[in-house]
Amino acid sequence: MTSDSILAVERLSAGYGRVAVLRDVSVDLAAGEMVALIGANGAGKTTLLRSLAGLLKPSGGRVWLEGADVTGMAPERLVRQGMALVPEGRMLFGPMTVTENLLLGAHSRPRRDESVRTDMDRVSALFPVLVERSSQPAATLSGGEQQMLAVGRALMSSPRVLLLDEPSLGLAPKVIADIFRVLKSLRSEGLSILLVEQDARLALRHADRGYVMRTGEIALAGTGAQLLENDDVRHIYLGARHDSRG
Amino acid sequence: MKRSMGVAAWMALVAVIGAVPLLTDDRYLLKVLVFVGINVIIVSGLALLFGYAGQISLGHAAFVGIGAYASAYVTSGLGLPWLVGVLAGTTLAAIGGLLLAMPSLRLRGHYLAMATLGFNEIMYVIFREARAVTGGNDGLSGIPFPEVLGVRMDTPASIYLLVWGTALVVVFLVANIVRGRPGRAMRGLHGSEIGALACGVDVARLKIRTFAVSAGLAGLAGTLYAHAVGFVAPSTFSLEQSVVLLAIVVVGGTGSLAGPVIASIALTLLPYADALIPGLGKDVIAFLQDWEADIYGIAMIVVVVLAPKGIGGLIRAARSRSRAEETG
Repeated sequence: MTSDSILAVERLSAGYGRVAVLRDVSVDLAAGEMVALIGANGAGKTTLLRSLAGLLKPSGGRVWLEGADVTGMAPERLVRQGMALVPEGRMLFGPMTVTENLLLGAHSRPRRDESVRTDMDRVSALFPVLVERSSQPAATLSGGEQQMLAVGRALMSSPRVLLLDEPSLGLAPKVIADIFRVLKSLRSEGLSILLVEQDARLALRHADRGYVMRTGEIALAGTGAQLLENDDVRHIYLGARHDSRG
Repeated sequence: MKRSMGVAAWMALVAVIGAVPLLTDDRYLLKVLVFVGINVIIVSGLALLFGYAGQISLGHAAFVGIGAYASAYVTSGLGLPWLVGVLAGTTLAAIGGLLLAMPSLRLRGHYLAMATLGFNEIMYVIFREARAVTGGNDGLSGIPFPEVLGVRMDTPASIYLLVWGTALVVVFLVANIVRGRPGRAMRGLHGSEIGALACGVDVARLKIRTFAVSAGLAGLAGTLYAHAVGFVAPSTFSLEQSVVLLAIVVVGGTGSLAGPVIASIALTLLPYADALIPGLGKDVIAFLQDWEADIYGIAMIVVVVLAPKGIGGLIRAARSRSRAEETG
């Protein structure tokens, strides 16, 4: 772990019951950095995010958030410490309105926190479509709008680290571009983002750095550009062939 | 958006409830209305747990029983004042809810239904077999009338006012819970448990608390029942009663308080329709009472098929229609 990293994961192991999924995974994230986790299905990407968000208790290793040991901390405490998760499948509150979803995102904050309103305005500015939909049940939103709401809800806890699980899944390219534009502007405001993506090319193009996971371990690490140029990455995750470079 | 019930609406409700004993001294009608009020209290608590937080309970009749037996034993067995009995019954039922919720935290859906069903069966056997406290199958009789500050409430009208006064306070409190932050967290938990966890909701604590409050309200209703009727026996607290209570919440609609309250009034009155409609033939009443369970069952099927959001859903739809007409 480096002293300037906001999130440092040190030899983390985790699994479900007796099935070990993660083995000695070490990852770190600097303040204002966007890092992508790529890898095949079942490589352990989602399991890593779940462990970091406290949804899964790690069986070994350490997690440091802003220098504090948060290993095995309960999710509601982690949210208060500044770690927010946009879960796989978004997990919105379907029958509740967009506004209620956002307010529940601020659940961890004090009852009369004036900055909740400020953050509500900020999320509205980032995703203007959510204002139009504010009194509509979340379930009636389009896929892209739902993903924006999921990101907005996570931002309502005023996080310093944002964990994103598959933000592009099932979305049209234009919507994906919109979402990544927002993520990059959040990064420029100092938010640190750890992103799991199926679409490795997309993720590596936008991220500062990336990790490649394979069967529960970190197989490769590097900057986005380095990984995009790496032959193994190109063949296995980007679907490139020897005769069609570039 | 949910609009809070206005002050005027609450005042009107108080006036209507308060006017009933002035308009009638029909002992049978008042007794029937006491049962309705007791069910309103239980159903409000169950609507909180099942309708809002999405946690099923097939054991609520047992919590009613805990309240009823505890209060009966404390007052007629130990000779303590009525209010002590009420507090004991309510607290014991809430603790029961807490103790049932803790091991059930990992259970959801069908598994939670089975666990709470098992709890009801266990309590039913205890009510029947712990004769020293519960009087076994013969039940406990001679439970004293409620008495507050030396005033004995031994007339149907005074018991009616006590029960409905309590019911009104309970509905008001539950309405405030569901409208506020805890209610939002409960609906979130109902919508997606992972989502609620990701938002920083302490899901375990929320479930345990909601279970305890809901069970406590059932226990409170049980204490009122014991002192209103003066007699308790195990069959009142059987699994069948738990199923009926849950059916009322389903007919009333999940995510609604007004719906289940209306459903509990309508469905509790149904077998006693002769109290409201004096000219009703004996054979009609006999039919309603014999087929009570079937009528509830059919009501439930009709709701699930035709209006899955229950009475509460119909109210919401009517409201948004009228709002659309106003603005459009």
